[in-house]
Amino acid sequence: MPLFLEIVTPDSITFSKEVKSVVIPTANGRIDILPKHIPIIDKVVPGYLKIEHEGEFDYISINTGFMEVYGDKVSILTDGAAKVSEEDEQAIDEAIQKAEKALQQAKDSNIEQSQLEQLEAAARFEMAKKIAKNKIR
Amino acid sequence: MANTRDIRIRIKGVKNTRQITRAMQMVATSKMKKAQDSAKSGRPYAMLLADIIGTIANEFVEVTQSYFAERPIKHRGILVIGTDKGLCGGLNSNLFREVVRIENSAKFISIGKRASQFLSKTRRDLLADFTVPDKPSFADVRKIVEFLLRNYDEGNIDTIEVVYTNFINTLRQEPESIRLFPLNDLTSMVEKLHSRFQSESQTNQKDNREILIENKDVVLSELASLYLKQEIFQLVLEAQASEHSARMVAMKSATDNAGTLIDDLTLQYNRARQAAITQEILEISAASFSN
Repeated sequence: MPLFLEIVTPDSITFSKEVKSVVIPTANGRIDILPKHIPIIDKVVPGYLKIEHEGEFDYISINTGFMEVYGDKVSILTDGAAKVSEEDEQAIDEAIQKAEKALQQAKDSNIEQSQLEQLEAAARFEMAKKIAKNKIR
Repeated sequence: MANTRDIRIRIKGVKNTRQITRAMQMVATSKMKKAQDSAKSGRPYAMLLADIIGTIANEFVEVTQSYFAERPIKHRGILVIGTDKGLCGGLNSNLFREVVRIENSAKFISIGKRASQFLSKTRRDLLADFTVPDKPSFADVRKIVEFLLRNYDEGNIDTIEVVYTNFINTLRQEPESIRLFPLNDLTSMVEKLHSRFQSESQTNQKDNREILIENKDVVLSELASLYLKQEIFQLVLEAQASEHSARMVAMKSATDNAGTLIDDLTLQYNRARQAAITQEILEISAASFSN
C-alpha cells in the first residue's frame, strides 16, 4: 500500500502524490517513513527530503516546519519548499552568499534572538538545497 | 444667478475629482482581487496546521503549557487591525465602535495608522503600532507576532485577541473580535476553523490510535506560536480584502455623485448662458428701438 505525501507551504501545496517512501530531516536526525509507520508528530529542520517513487528518487529541499504521519498519510507543514531539480545552481550559490551576509550583518548589529534564528534557518535552507543538488549528480 | 465663468470652473474641478475617485476605484478593485486570492491560497496551510493541533488536542486533553492554559486576566491584549489610509467609507468607524466597548484595563497593539491614531486619541493603553504593506508576506507579520508573544510571556497581557473587519462579501464587511490565546479550548477552535473554511472536519476520521510526539514541549510551543502567526496573517489578509472592497464601494458612489453633480452644474451653466444671451438681445433691441 503506497504512502500519500503532502507538502504544504503558506503559498501553496507544493507536493501531493503517492510515494513509496520518504526520508525526512527532523530535529533528532533523518527518519525514513514507510507505509504502516506508527503515527508521529515531529519538528522538521531545514534539509532535504528524499522521496522514492516508482524506483526513482526525487529530492525536495525544505525549510523548518512540522510533520505528521497518520495512517498512510504524511503531511509536511513548512515555511518553504523547492524541487531541487528545478533549482538553478548559480541562483542557489547567490542565495547562500546573500543569506550568510545577512546573517553576518545581523550578528554584528546585535538583533533579537528570534530574528537571528530565522536568518539561520534561511541560510541552512539554502545550504540544504546545494547539498541535495550535489547528491543528484 | 452665478456667472458662467464660475460655473465652468466648478465643473472642471468636479470632473477632476471624478477622475481621481474613478482611478482609486479601479485600483481598489484590482487590489481587492489580489487580497482575496492570497487569502484563499493560505487556506490549505491553515487547515493542515489546525489538523495537527487538533490531533494533539485529541491526544492530550490536559496540556499545561502556558500557551494552552488559562490564567487570571488582568489585562486583555488586543490587536486592532485598521487601515493606513482613509477614504474607505465607514470601515474604520465601524471597527472603532467595536473597540470603544472594550474596558479600559485592556492593552492595545495596532496595525494601520488610522487605528493607532484612534487609540492614542481616545487615550487607550497602546503598547505598539505596526504597519503592514499591501500584499503582506509572512515575514511582515512575524515581528508583530513576536512582539505579542513576548508581552504574553512576560505577563504584560493575559490574552491575545484580534479586532478586525471580517470580509463577508464585496458589499458587506463586519467588525469582529476573535480570541486566539490562550489556546485552552482546542477542540472548539479547530471546529471553528473548519466552519470558517467550509470544509468537513478531518480529525473525526482518525481513530484513537496512540500517537508518538517527539520533543513534545518544543513541538507544542512552536506549533502554538506558528498557529498564532498563521492566524494573524490570515486575519490581516482578510482585513485588507475588506479595506479594498470598502474603498471600492465608497469610491464608486463618489464617482456616481460627481456625475450627478456635473449634470446639475451643466444645466445651471446652460441656463445662465441662455439668460445672458437673452439679456444681450434685449439690450440690443432696446437700444435700436430708442434710436
